[in-house]
Amino acid sequence: MANPFRLPMAPRAIRNLFSKPATRRYPYDIRPRFEGARGTIKFDVETCNYCTLCAKRCPAAAITVSRENRTWAIEHLTCIGCNVCVEVCNKNSLSMSTDSKSVHTHAEVGPQGQRPGHEEWHSPAPEPAAGTASKAATPAA
Amino acid sequence: MKRTIVPFGPQHPVLPEPIVLDLLLEDEKVVDAIPTIGYIHRGLEAMVDRVEYTEMGFVVERICGICSFMHGLGYCLALESIMNVEVPDRARWLRIIWAEISRIQSHLLWLGLGADAFGFENLFMHCWRMREEILDIFEKTTGGRIIHSVNRIGGVKRDIADSELVAILARLDELGSAFDATVKVFGSDASIRHRLGGVGILSAADARAVDAVGPMARASGVRMDTRLTGQNLYDQLDFEPVLETAGDCLARVIVRMREVRQSIELVHQMVDKMPKGEGMPLENKPRGNPSGETFTRLEQPRGEVVYYVKANGTKYLERFRARTPTFANIPAMIKLVKGCDLADVPNIILTIDPCISCTER
Repeated sequence: MANPFRLPMAPRAIRNLFSKPATRRYPYDIRPRFEGARGTIKFDVETCNYCTLCAKRCPAAAITVSRENRTWAIEHLTCIGCNVCVEVCNKNSLSMSTDSKSVHTHAEVGPQGQRPGHEEWHSPAPEPAAGTASKAATPAA
Repeated sequence: MKRTIVPFGPQHPVLPEPIVLDLLLEDEKVVDAIPTIGYIHRGLEAMVDRVEYTEMGFVVERICGICSFMHGLGYCLALESIMNVEVPDRARWLRIIWAEISRIQSHLLWLGLGADAFGFENLFMHCWRMREEILDIFEKTTGGRIIHSVNRIGGVKRDIADSELVAILARLDELGSAFDATVKVFGSDASIRHRLGGVGILSAADARAVDAVGPMARASGVRMDTRLTGQNLYDQLDFEPVLETAGDCLARVIVRMREVRQSIELVHQMVDKMPKGEGMPLENKPRGNPSGETFTRLEQPRGEVVYYVKANGTKYLERFRARTPTFANIPAMIKLVKGCDLADVPNIILTIDPCISCTER
């Protein structure tokens, strides 16, 4: 053995005295996520044609799309972040951002039946002279 | 002599998983042990009749958080063999690279837990600090730290750029030297030798008799490794399983230590041999619905896992079953626990590297 005092951890312990800690002070020092890391789904209401393919292929059934009402909704707390909807979208309306999912408390599920993590978009039917579709409903809670 | 029954678990002193054993004691000696399986049964296998086969891969991946990559891989391999899908070459190499890296991750996690079990808490922290490097590699290449979701039936969804592969190798080498410097303690420290050496000895004959798998069998000198069958491109690699002959708890620690080094070496060989280039095909999409049945075997970090899939031509599978390595190692564990001291039980149970989420699915 290389260490004459039979203290194999000693070099490491001495080095640790003078080196930075391996952990971060989390709320103040947030670890940046890598490019390509799977976080939350972002939806682009301008390009979606409500084909419902993403809702059909979602393994967790987190997406609901209505072709008639032209609404697109996602339950972020049900979403498992598998990236399947992003892969199947023909219009590139869906993308995966690296942001972590937001945290919700139990108190947010109030008597009014609010759904934390629920996001819904609606765009009016396209008219020949109409302007671009607008985001009608904002994320609940 | 008066006998006492001590319920061991569902809280293990270290292992954050609910293993349940009823220990029958005579004084301090364990006379018999009765395992109870199913404390966290989730019925994942039964989900095949309401989850389509394309989506089932994501469920299978969630059987366990430590071997999630291998579970996803095993399911995809089984479906590919039923549906006769040819997987592109680069995708096959990428799969086994990720598989070996996840073996390093799993062994580092276990070495840390093992150190914690015999009271070496700073060694536990060092092992988990090194594991964090591996999780960074995973997050960078697959997009997820634990649940990777890159395996699809017919290939993989993400490529690793050749320059990134070189960077991974450099990172693994760095990790390897840090690992050697820190983890040699397992082999050289006197207190670890006293605590683990000669405890829970499983002879080679016994290991064969109770069908031990993985590092458990290899620590007893049984040359058994599913990778030796040459499936999944392992026939193209220079590979010889790590063997120890002592068969005690210390040997099981040493086998896993050496397997970390071996996996780093295997990743080097894989990167050398895989086809290089940008934009190579990674996926051949399967057509139609599967029909037929198959068995697939894989060498997980904990040992051999077997998947059985039966499909009937619809989009829902008829039957899916996973025989996980911990399940196969439970008879060996019971054999070891009988006749040992009560104080050694937590260590013996931990050295089989139990994964109860896998076992009870």
